[in-house]
Amino acid sequence: MLNRLILQHAINNKMIDKRLFAVPGIIKILVTLVVLTGLQAFTILFQGIFLAKIIVALWEGTDFISVVSQVVVFAIAFLLRQLLVVFKNSLMAHFSDQAVESYRVQLLAKYAEIGPSVITKSGTGNAVTTLGVGLDNVKNYFQLLLIKVFDLGIIPWLILLYIFFLKWEQGLFLLLIFPVVILFFIILGLAAQSKADAEFANFKNLNNRFVDALRGLPTLKQLGLSQSYGAEIYNISEDYRKTTMRTLRIAITSTFALDFFTTLSIAIVAVFLGFDLMNGKMTLLPALSILVLAPEYFLPLRNFADDYHATLNGKNALTDVLTVIDMPSVPDQELLTLPSWQQDSELNLADVAFSYDTLPTLTNINVTAKGYQKIAIVGESGSGKSTLLKLLGGFLQPNAGSVIVNGQSLPHLTQKSWQQQFFYMPQSPYIFHASLRDNIKFYTPNTDDVTVESAITRAGLSPLVDDLPDGLDTIIGESGRQLSGGQAQRVALARMLLDSKRKVLLFDEPTAHLDIETEVELKQTMAPILANHLVFFATHRLHWLDQMDFVLVMANGEIVETGEPKALLADENSALNHLRHELYRGKLA
Amino acid sequence: MKKIQKLLQNDHWIMPFLRQQKSGLFWSIFLSFMTTFAAGALMFVSGFLISRSAQHPENILIIYVPIVLTRAFGIARPVFRYAQRLVSHNWVLRIVSKTRRRLYESVASTAGSIRGRMQTGDILSLLADDLDRLQNLYLRTLFPLGAGIMLYIFVSIGFGVVNWRFMLWWFFILAIILIVIPLLSLKWNYNGVRRQKALQNQLYTEATDAILGLQDWVLSGRQADLVSRQGKVMSELADVKNKGMKFGWWRDFIIQMLVLLLTITTLIWAGNQFANDRDLVNYIAAFTLAIFPLVDSFVGVNQGVSEASFYEDSITRLNQLPVVKKIESAPIPTNTTVKFDKVTFAYDDKTIIDHLDLTIPTGEKIALLGRSGAGKTTILKLLAGDIKPYQGEVTIGGQSVSQLQPKMSELVAVLDQQAYLFDSTILNNVRMGNIHASDEAVAAAIKQAGLQPLIDALPEGYHTQMREAGARFSGGEQQRFALARILLQAAPIVVLDEPTVSLDPKTEHDVLTQIFSVLQDRTIIWVTHHLTGIENVDKVYFLEAGKFVLSGKPSLLRDESERFKQLLLMDQY
Repeated sequence: MLNRLILQHAINNKMIDKRLFAVPGIIKILVTLVVLTGLQAFTILFQGIFLAKIIVALWEGTDFISVVSQVVVFAIAFLLRQLLVVFKNSLMAHFSDQAVESYRVQLLAKYAEIGPSVITKSGTGNAVTTLGVGLDNVKNYFQLLLIKVFDLGIIPWLILLYIFFLKWEQGLFLLLIFPVVILFFIILGLAAQSKADAEFANFKNLNNRFVDALRGLPTLKQLGLSQSYGAEIYNISEDYRKTTMRTLRIAITSTFALDFFTTLSIAIVAVFLGFDLMNGKMTLLPALSILVLAPEYFLPLRNFADDYHATLNGKNALTDVLTVIDMPSVPDQELLTLPSWQQDSELNLADVAFSYDTLPTLTNINVTAKGYQKIAIVGESGSGKSTLLKLLGGFLQPNAGSVIVNGQSLPHLTQKSWQQQFFYMPQSPYIFHASLRDNIKFYTPNTDDVTVESAITRAGLSPLVDDLPDGLDTIIGESGRQLSGGQAQRVALARMLLDSKRKVLLFDEPTAHLDIETEVELKQTMAPILANHLVFFATHRLHWLDQMDFVLVMANGEIVETGEPKALLADENSALNHLRHELYRGKLA
Repeated sequence: MKKIQKLLQNDHWIMPFLRQQKSGLFWSIFLSFMTTFAAGALMFVSGFLISRSAQHPENILIIYVPIVLTRAFGIARPVFRYAQRLVSHNWVLRIVSKTRRRLYESVASTAGSIRGRMQTGDILSLLADDLDRLQNLYLRTLFPLGAGIMLYIFVSIGFGVVNWRFMLWWFFILAIILIVIPLLSLKWNYNGVRRQKALQNQLYTEATDAILGLQDWVLSGRQADLVSRQGKVMSELADVKNKGMKFGWWRDFIIQMLVLLLTITTLIWAGNQFANDRDLVNYIAAFTLAIFPLVDSFVGVNQGVSEASFYEDSITRLNQLPVVKKIESAPIPTNTTVKFDKVTFAYDDKTIIDHLDLTIPTGEKIALLGRSGAGKTTILKLLAGDIKPYQGEVTIGGQSVSQLQPKMSELVAVLDQQAYLFDSTILNNVRMGNIHASDEAVAAAIKQAGLQPLIDALPEGYHTQMREAGARFSGGEQQRFALARILLQAAPIVVLDEPTVSLDPKTEHDVLTQIFSVLQDRTIIWVTHHLTGIENVDKVYFLEAGKFVLSGKPSLLRDESERFKQLLLMDQY
């Protein structure tokens, strides 16, 4: 019953996040924590009382030998109290590890489910932070916060009860001062917050200016301004200091209020006890007990306030984590049954439309693809090529229209079974921080080395392998050896070659940013790979048309023309030829 | 431990600042000491006060002084703490300003002007983190340590006045708490902290692999692998951290046990020392109660010191930065012929530029083509003087580029892949090309770059804010702003480092046309990845393995070279 009340109280006062209770096993942990904290409160009480007893006995002139039994009780209480601190910390460390692990699994599952398109919108950097540092902050939050909240909810009140029992006037004083302390702490805390909010724009501005100067350093160097900019950096930094101090002055005042009232209360209690003793209204033992216990009464409040700001970080991180976990997922992902894409398979998009955020809007999309057709999707940038390709890959879902695979009607292509059928080649394939071998085997981890070698030869990666210090075992990727754009494309091609079961290939501008000689070579490598696959190839590099047997010309989110490339190129008035003239206005005379 | 000693001996980033800013450092530590002193004194005086009161003195005046002192210390503690926090934060931020300026100057002295963004960006964000960490080094380690030592000396002297033999005992126990345990925990935690840092980096790599490679994880059906792979690092990190925390808990427990020992021995001593004297007996409570607030501050020292190894890498990195040297420039040559004379450059034993000869007379426009890794960027870096040739020499008007370094911007202007625009107004950004240019000159340059229609459409015109990295404008517009800046810069040689690589074909064509029309009278060295706009140059050079394999006038190559024809076909299908 008492546990319940304490919990309820803590939740009502927003000291604990309600969301904590969704963590499995938390109730058991919290009950244990309440019991341990209760025990600890008693040890604190005993420690104080017996210390007072010993001092009084010595003050009265008693021999130390005669008070040994009291010293032993004092020592045991002291020892138990410190042991309980360690126990409580271990308990919560274990619990927060478990909680964070469960969040991590849910988070990854959700990220995998919503896919890169949604993540890109909220920022990949944010997602990486949430997954790494964010979860770490949540852990600290669980570790620190709960112990402090329960200390504050239990320890002062047991001490206060005892003080009331000793001398109710002092108890009443300490009880009344408590809300005053909290009130001032909150009022000044709010003032600090509003000051910080008011200065936030300023902070952000100063911080941006600094980052700006650092990021623009090569440009400053080019313009011959890099040396003289040091003074500017100093000025920015000094502005930053002044702004920070303006905010800190108030923030520190908030802690000052807490400090001031608690310390002064102890002084006042001492003085009043002094008067009462002089007037013979009380004896030394209860007076000294109260004096010893008064700092203990305020200690949990101080501890809570000390780390208050650190816990805010954790709270925000928890919000980020839970926002992701609570994101809606795409329904109906397992409707399609497609063992494998074959010569006679057929895919239709019927009157598909799509609009989302800043992506180009698509309307009236009708596409039919059969067997191992090679379909180019061409158009100017912003015409919707990539968006159409993302719909085909199921990375986005249409708002209207339907998708028909082998006669089976589906709301979208975000189908587990479809994802096993195709391979997607983006403009810059992602290279994992792993060995070249593991990167190539990514889609088929069980492939043997002989097969890998042959894929390497066919993907034109042999020169790279010869060049790497540890050959196939060289660690590549972000913090390893970096690959050039063309090499990354070849790694993706090798992945594609190893996975012969996937018969559908989606290409999204694979060579747009490569240098032209690399493009020529890559094209030679890629041409044979396209055979016996259904290919969708979005590009504005029109030379690829010689590898395709069908083309969709897009403009402003619509398919404006379809047909065989040769026929369309022959027709002077075709939309395809119109596009050619738009793209290649500056021809060599 | 030795490493840290060595680090401090060779340090020229922390110690010089501490020496320069002595008074702020002193006040920060002194006020911190006074805070703890007042806390201890409050309990000392209150203990005395109520013990004395319990003896029922006839005259209230006898306890008048303790009453006043109790109140005074009660107020003094929060006031000292308040002042300490203000003084120390202000001091630390002041130091950070100075460190930041020095950091910037040091990095700026070595930053390259060609493709420097990636590396400098990474290095700088790393260094910015290091600055943050230094703040903690001061606030969490140095100040508490300084105050702790001051308190140590004070307490020892305080006891020494009463009883020197008992003083030795306190001296001994406090030495364990304040010196022995911190040193031991620094030593024992050292490897754990290093491992923790390594795992944190790994966690970041794994998280990046998880998010950026997400599509591959999903499409390959390896979600389960993803979860277990990332989980392994995470649980290892949790283990290491828990070990560190556990160490901290038990360390604090041991310190508390020493406090217990100190309390009991003090009780015994005080009982003996002050017994049987009606006046002195009141000091038993005074001494005993003062122990707890005093010892509290020593626990903080322990935490701060065991974190010290976290700062090691930061200090090492800062100390590895070069010391800025001033170089005098040779006079700017009037003739601006660029000449590479048998230039060779190698990196890691791999020859990148191989005995290369190249002469570009004033006003000539050339294009450099080649696969990635063929050495195009290296040629630009050699020209800009970012790197020095291994053999041979790069000259402008007969003067070696290394001697022209400080004034390079008067000779060579650069327009790269994504020109950087600063978070300021359009006017200020363009004026960076020549800070002495009049408003009219800036406006003229903007007009020449083809931006007049855009400016006219903006409500605030030239005074429109660019926002961070020019985020407000499209890629084509950003490149045009950079072009305007170069027009003002008026350097006779312009390097174009793939300036249109991130633009769509239509915008690319328009921007290139604009560039070549307004830079007619300048020398242009243009690195490009395909043949769009190639008709604008006088000569094309194809680079392969550090040598030119094909060069000539584009119109001639079109007729004579099969290879050139084939490439042209790719671009103009």
